[in-house]
This record gives sequence, structure tokens and C-alpha cells, in this order.
Amino acid sequence: MNISINTIEQESCKNSIIHDLDGRIKLILTFIVIIYAVYTTDLLVLLLMEMYLIALVLLSKISLSYFAKRILMILPFGGFIAIFQPFLKAGAVLYTLPFGLTITYEGVVFGALLLSRLIICLSTVVLLSSVTPLESIVNSMRKLGFPKEIAMILSMTIRYLFLFFDELENIRNAQKSRCFNIWNKKTSYLWRLKQVGYTIMMIFLKSFEKGEFVYFSMLGRGYTGEAVAYNKQSKIVKLDYFIIILTVAIIILIELFHLNGII
Amino acid sequence: MHIPDGFIPLWQCVIYYIVVIIVGYFAVKWAKENLDERKIPLLAVLAAGIFAIQAMNIPIPWGTSGHMVGAAIVAILLGSPFAGFLVLAIVLIIQGIAFGDGGLTTLGVNIFNMGIVGGFVGYYGFKGLKPLISKIPAVFVAAFLSLFISAILCVVELYFAGTFPLATGFYFMGLYHFVIGIVGEGLISTIVFIAINKIRPDLISSGAI
Repeated sequence: MNISINTIEQESCKNSIIHDLDGRIKLILTFIVIIYAVYTTDLLVLLLMEMYLIALVLLSKISLSYFAKRILMILPFGGFIAIFQPFLKAGAVLYTLPFGLTITYEGVVFGALLLSRLIICLSTVVLLSSVTPLESIVNSMRKLGFPKEIAMILSMTIRYLFLFFDELENIRNAQKSRCFNIWNKKTSYLWRLKQVGYTIMMIFLKSFEKGEFVYFSMLGRGYTGEAVAYNKQSKIVKLDYFIIILTVAIIILIELFHLNGII
Repeated sequence: MHIPDGFIPLWQCVIYYIVVIIVGYFAVKWAKENLDERKIPLLAVLAAGIFAIQAMNIPIPWGTSGHMVGAAIVAILLGSPFAGFLVLAIVLIIQGIAFGDGGLTTLGVNIFNMGIVGGFVGYYGFKGLKPLISKIPAVFVAAFLSLFISAILCVVELYFAGTFPLATGFYFMGLYHFVIGIVGEGLISTIVFIAINKIRPDLISSGAI
């Protein structure tokens, strides 16, 4: 069930029509779809959106099981709150459980809405990150007018992200090979906590030292505090316009249908 | 504590975004004026480090786990709440856009909770408490408060959004984050601070010593 950050990056470097779209277009599309999903309150609208997203997934040749796995991996964070809605909202009682718990109609509807919205938004983000390498996402943000200073830090961060995940994995392997387990009740809780603390401290120190090291190597190449980044110029082609017009048209159509009571 | 997309209405998301953009403006201004150029790569690499640290589970008594946020300790070590804000903002942007942890419309509220509140409470908590209870306990209390207050704010925000009732939220989120605050944020930040103080005291900003 565990999908590492490296797998995600490998998946995003494959080839397909969707992979080839310009990063800016993909980023804008992601925002449009998510904002619409948060705006709408109709389950059927959300279902149609999800179908459109799955069509895009199929076009991008990402395996559906990989796609579903990634969504399931992130779902618990917010799904938890959605699942408890039926017990929390006041309204018409559908069912009474022991311990004074009641399931209400309003709660079920609201919970379903939250959960569907969550699935759409996660689908969109997972799709974006499955078809766009991190570096391309950050470059696109820069091209779309993201503040230069922060964009520079961002693009450096993603460069070292993978290094630190490897570092973390190394530490974990080293601990595992010495039979260390954070859940092992035979060792004292405070001792285990201390070990985790030391691990985190090591990562802190390593990032501090790496940061200095990177600075010196940048200095050696003439860094003066101003960042000049050369990006590969990419042109927005017809296909990019087509996809964005198609998506906006689909959203407007769905919304019109919805407003006129057809769905 | 990462609020996902769809849990906060759009108009409220806009408010949090505006707050974050205003603080972001001052943070960039601060970085340009006060941060010497060597700290910029440091912020970037530190953000990558925090990213990995947030992926690390810390055992919490009753069988669950939590993770560290890290805004307070970054703010304390680098000597400015803006440092905590910038590092956390970077981490949350990558988590939101590339991993779906947190959201895009809720990016503003998440940066507000963990970056702004976490960084400022952590830094000024430390500054205020240091003369009263000495350095090390001040790190512990400030880091604890930074996480606990963000969690409480998170409950209030979800309440305003109409997603979660206030009392139940305080009870569950409050209790859970009280423990994570003590163990995950407080104790671990203290261990990190003591260790760095011992090994590389030159890395800690002069304001914190």
C-alpha cells in the first residue's frame, strides 16, 4: 500500500497526451476543477466530474489501481471527519443507536458531500502529480507569476526532497536492522521517544549542514543572492488550448444542466 | 491538522489566503533585508528536511501516532517567526499540490494555522518565556503551545465552516493534539534544540542563545 515519493516521480515522467501538456495548463486545470468541486453542492455534479477525471486518467495511461491506491492512501486524513458527519449534524433522525447516538438525514447528506468533494479534489491532485514531475510544477508556478524568491526556494526544496527521503529511509533501515521498532512495548516508552527524537535531530543537523554545503557550492559558481534560473522555454500548443477549453466547457455545461434542474 | 479541500467554503478560503499573502509579503521583505544570502539555501534545504520529518511517525501512548510540525523549532533556531512561516509555507505548498496532503483551496488556512500561528507562537512564546523559566523549558513550552494553539484554531475554523461542531472538536482534536503537542512537538523540539546547542551552537541564531 505504500507508494514512495520516488514511484510518484517515476510515474510522472512517462509519456502520454496528458503528460505532454504544458505544466501551466495542467496547474490551471487543477485549480479550476478543485474550485468548482468545492463550490458545488450537488452529488450528481461531483459524480460527472469524477467520470471526466477518470477519462483523463485513462488517456494518460496511468494504471487505475495505482491511481486508486494513491487516493486511498491520502483519504483517511479528511475521510475521518466526513464519516462522522451523520452522528454530528442535527436534523431528521433516521436511526437511533445505543449510547445516545443518532444518525440524521442531514448528516448523511453532508457527509456524503464532503466525502465526494474530497475524492474529486484528491483525484485532481493525484492526476496532476502523476502526469507532471515536481520540477515542472514548480517551474510552471514561477511562469504563472509566483513570487520569484519563494519560487527559487521551492525549486531548491524539491531538489533535496528526494535526498532527504532516502536519508530517512537509510536511518529507518539502520534502525530496523538493529530490531528497533517504535511500537515495541518491551522497551520503555521514553527510550523509544528519545530514539525518534535523535533521528529527527539527525535530519535537522543534516539539513543544516547540507544547506551550508549547498551555499558554498553555489558561492563557488558565482551566487550573489540573486537567483537567475534558466528554464526550457515551452510553448502552449493547440492541444493545451483544446484541453482547457474542453474542461471549462464541460464545467459550464454541467453547471447549466444543474441550474436548469436537468440533473 | 491538514484541512483538506472541500471542508472550508470558498469565501472563507479567500480570507485566509489574503492573510497569508499579507504575511508572505512581509516575510519576503524580511528575508531580503535581514537574511544574509547564505540562509536562503538553508531555508530551502531545511524545508526538505522538515518534509521528511513530517513523514516520520512519533509513537503516542494509546496506540496511535502523530508527527511533528516543526514551525516553532525552525523559528527559534533561525531567530525569526518569518523563517518558520517560510519553511512551513514551502512544505505545505508541495504537500498540497503534489501529494494531496492538505488541499489547494485550503492551502491558505493550512499555512495560516501551521506557518503563521505555529511560527509566531513558537518564536514569541520562546522569547517571552526565556527570561522567566530559562532557555530549555522555554523551547518545550513554546513548541507545545505552537502546535496546541494551531490545533485549537483548526477546530474553530472548521466550526465557522460548518463542518465540525465546536464542543466535539475541542474534545477530540484538543485531547489528541494536547498529547502530540507534549510528546511530538514539545519533547522532540527540545531534544533537537539541546543536541544542536551541544554539537553546532554556531547554527543557532544569536537571538536564541
